[in-house]
Amino acid sequence: MNEPVAEQGVEDRAPAEWSSSELGALYDEHSRAIYYLALRFLGDPQKAEDATHDVFLKAFRRLDQFRGDASVRTWLYRITINHCQNLCQSWHNRHVQANSDDAIWDSAPAKTDSPLRVLETKELGQRIQKTLDALSDEYRLLLLLVADEELSYEEIAELVGQTTDAVRGKLHRARKTFAAYFEKTN
Amino acid sequence: MKHQNKFSQNEEHSHEQQSHAQPAKEFANSDELLRYDAGQTTVPPEIAQRLQESVGDLPGPKQNWLKRLFGGTKP
Repeated sequence: MNEPVAEQGVEDRAPAEWSSSELGALYDEHSRAIYYLALRFLGDPQKAEDATHDVFLKAFRRLDQFRGDASVRTWLYRITINHCQNLCQSWHNRHVQANSDDAIWDSAPAKTDSPLRVLETKELGQRIQKTLDALSDEYRLLLLLVADEELSYEEIAELVGQTTDAVRGKLHRARKTFAAYFEKTN
Repeated sequence: MKHQNKFSQNEEHSHEQQSHAQPAKEFANSDELLRYDAGQTTVPPEIAQRLQESVGDLPGPKQNWLKRLFGGTKP
């Protein structure tokens, strides 16, 4: 008589073996994180919608390539980052980044160590987007990834192809820069 | 939760000069602010509908999950 086998968790098996309901759960569990990264990285809801669609479609087509040596979230993030960076690269080749409000960044530096105080949450998303848009792609990506509590610094380092120490150092500077710019959008 | 920064937000009552404003919020750093922003973000349902249409050429049971997920809302 066979001994009872402990049921494997969904992430213990290759996605190619997942059932339809498990794939549905995959979308349910990760779609917000993927959409949010695309939204704030690209800065455009329609482009983020397209990107999220494309990322999940790519993921389903590449299920057989997932080796399980990273978490599913990390694997999806990798596809998303590549997709968004490719989009940005093609845009940047066509457009010179022009910010009509550049003057606000040129004034004296704001405090960066105090908490970020938000009096009006109604337009908070716009302020955040404006601040992120002013950062380099690298800082923007690091801040968005570290905001996901499911990712460790090691996973972030792997995603951006840097050492953990380098990520920590850059995140420190990215947070300060974000805080300074965010205060100026008020 | 792997990061040391726990999400927390301190709500303060509105400033006297802003009697109709929403309560102020304070975020210790950008991590908390972006986490809050992500929590407020809704995934457009159109994405799933488009995926349902796009996934039609994928083989086998992979098509079925979208049908299950969206209950055949699309023709």
